[in-house]
Amino acid sequence: MSEMWSSEYRAHKGDVGLHVWRKRIGAPNAGQADKPLLFLVHGSSFSGRSGFDLQVPGKPGYSMMEAFAEWGFDVWLMDHEGYGRSDWGEGAFAYVKEGVDDLKAAMEVIETATGHAKVSMYGGSSGALRAACFAAACPENVDRLALAAMVYTGQGSPTLAKRAEKLDEWRSSNKRAVDHAFFASIFNRDKPGTAEDEVAVALADSEAALCTHVPTGTYINMCAHLPLVEPEDVKCPTLLVRSEHDGIATDADVMEFWARLPNKDKQFTQMDGQSHAAALGLNRWRFWHVLKTFFAMPPRCDV
Amino acid sequence: MSEIWSAEYTAEKGDVPLYMFRKHEGPPDAANPRPVLFLVHGSSFSGPSGFDLTVPGRDDYSLMDAFARLGYDVWTLDHEGYGRSGRTDGNAPISEGVNDLIAGMDVVEKETGQTSHFFYGQSSGALRAACFAAARPETVRRVVLDAFVWTGEGAPTLIERAKKLDQWRASNMRPVDRAFYHSIFNRDLPGTSEAAVPDALADAELQLCSEVPTGTYLDMCAHLPVVDPLDITCPVLILRGEHDGIATEEDLIAFFQLLPNQDKQFSIIAGQAHVAPLGLNRRRFWHVMDGFFKMPARRDPYEDEDRQKIEERRRAGGRS
Repeated sequence: MSEMWSSEYRAHKGDVGLHVWRKRIGAPNAGQADKPLLFLVHGSSFSGRSGFDLQVPGKPGYSMMEAFAEWGFDVWLMDHEGYGRSDWGEGAFAYVKEGVDDLKAAMEVIETATGHAKVSMYGGSSGALRAACFAAACPENVDRLALAAMVYTGQGSPTLAKRAEKLDEWRSSNKRAVDHAFFASIFNRDKPGTAEDEVAVALADSEAALCTHVPTGTYINMCAHLPLVEPEDVKCPTLLVRSEHDGIATDADVMEFWARLPNKDKQFTQMDGQSHAAALGLNRWRFWHVLKTFFAMPPRCDV
Repeated sequence: MSEIWSAEYTAEKGDVPLYMFRKHEGPPDAANPRPVLFLVHGSSFSGPSGFDLTVPGRDDYSLMDAFARLGYDVWTLDHEGYGRSGRTDGNAPISEGVNDLIAGMDVVEKETGQTSHFFYGQSSGALRAACFAAARPETVRRVVLDAFVWTGEGAPTLIERAKKLDQWRASNMRPVDRAFYHSIFNRDLPGTSEAAVPDALADAELQLCSEVPTGTYLDMCAHLPVVDPLDITCPVLILRGEHDGIATEEDLIAFFQLLPNQDKQFSIIAGQAHVAPLGLNRRRFWHVMDGFFKMPARRDPYEDEDRQKIEERRRAGGRS
């Protein structure tokens, strides 16, 4: 079997340089898309590589990029403005709508590298909001869309109600401090025991090497500006994955969004034993299996 | 690629013999048992006719063959009054279909040694499978309910069907002919299946019968809902063709939301009508089913606790 191949790229959103990372099995031929393209969109609190290509000491099998590369995908991600290895423009809050601009810049990189700019796209948490807004804005770029830990209106969301208590703080600064305790809280706030303790530590170590703060824009969006996207504007086939234990939204809120999606190639999957950061949970292989099955749907053959 | 092996069996429901059919890639090997997938047919044609259909000039219509090649030990059964099974004076309603499945399980257990299986039910077969899952939760690992209906409210097909309710009540049998089989494929959206399919189905079915029982039609027109979602404790996939008048999406979403097991999925397949396993996009349909059945096992510590909660709620009377 060929080796795991990786490469980094730089996208440009005006003066802001954005880190783009790619993994696949075997080196590509420049300008050719010989495998299905998958793009992973990160959320509010950690960068793309830390979340989707995480190496946990002594515990293999946490890199979602590598899992999907092994399944035959050409896997891409980016760090949004203000996150990880990307630039952070002076005073930028990195709102969801700016995340959409980041994704547009990344698509140019993918098109240059592969000759194609139509991808299957996955987004988690506020990454789901970015991905959904991007699919609405640039339908020509999204073949199939998977949204996890998604929130639509936010009505009744325990996590967002709690987060909104600090709304004035988020609004007063574009920077929010992150540390090991914060990363541990992501995995324990919904249902302790649905992730291994070492994961939060590995994630915190990975992020601490890159930053001490992340932007506040997506937190402000989720506390004060929902809904950011209407389901009727998302035209591509869409999978909505909802973890059983995820306070970011209520079941009713995400089902309302799904029910109104106009494309009848759509799926709603509820997953037991999972919480908000499902891609790094104990049941991540179940989660990835659902995504893979959706992305690998055979083509339609009716008229 | 190994040959597909097949065998026939007979289940006994009292003195009513029930025909069973099984397919497997190569002969079954007791040392390496494959997961059993049990296919439950609907109101208008028998198991092998629908799930193992031969269409002249085509070799890719058998759901049984497809899933045998995907690694399953595939079974189906002709319900009382259908196909090669025995007839009685009854009208074979959903409740009798559950008894048929209970009888069928004795045969499956005897032949495979397995006691818990994957189930797929289509149309009123989905109602049979759902009721069976509620009655015998220990026997159902995961269930796919396709072309399902819960309350029937607003369902165009059932509104039309109910116009003949007196006829379904007056007789335990209803005639079927070639035109009827064509109507199944064309009533929702013509063009979602190949023209040769209803003829092949009619050819298979009309050599076995000229009429089928009315019980499931009567149930679907006058007795819905026949199952409470809170009574179904296993993981469930609701599968719906985009163009299917048997139910409204609202009806199915309401059912889905009440399912107590949080391992559940709702998939709508674009470009498909009521009889999705025989439609042009059947491979998409099979793909979704296979993905659901092949869900990896849970690794979190809460599985037993969750199972207990679901069961306690069921014992407490579900909805209360």
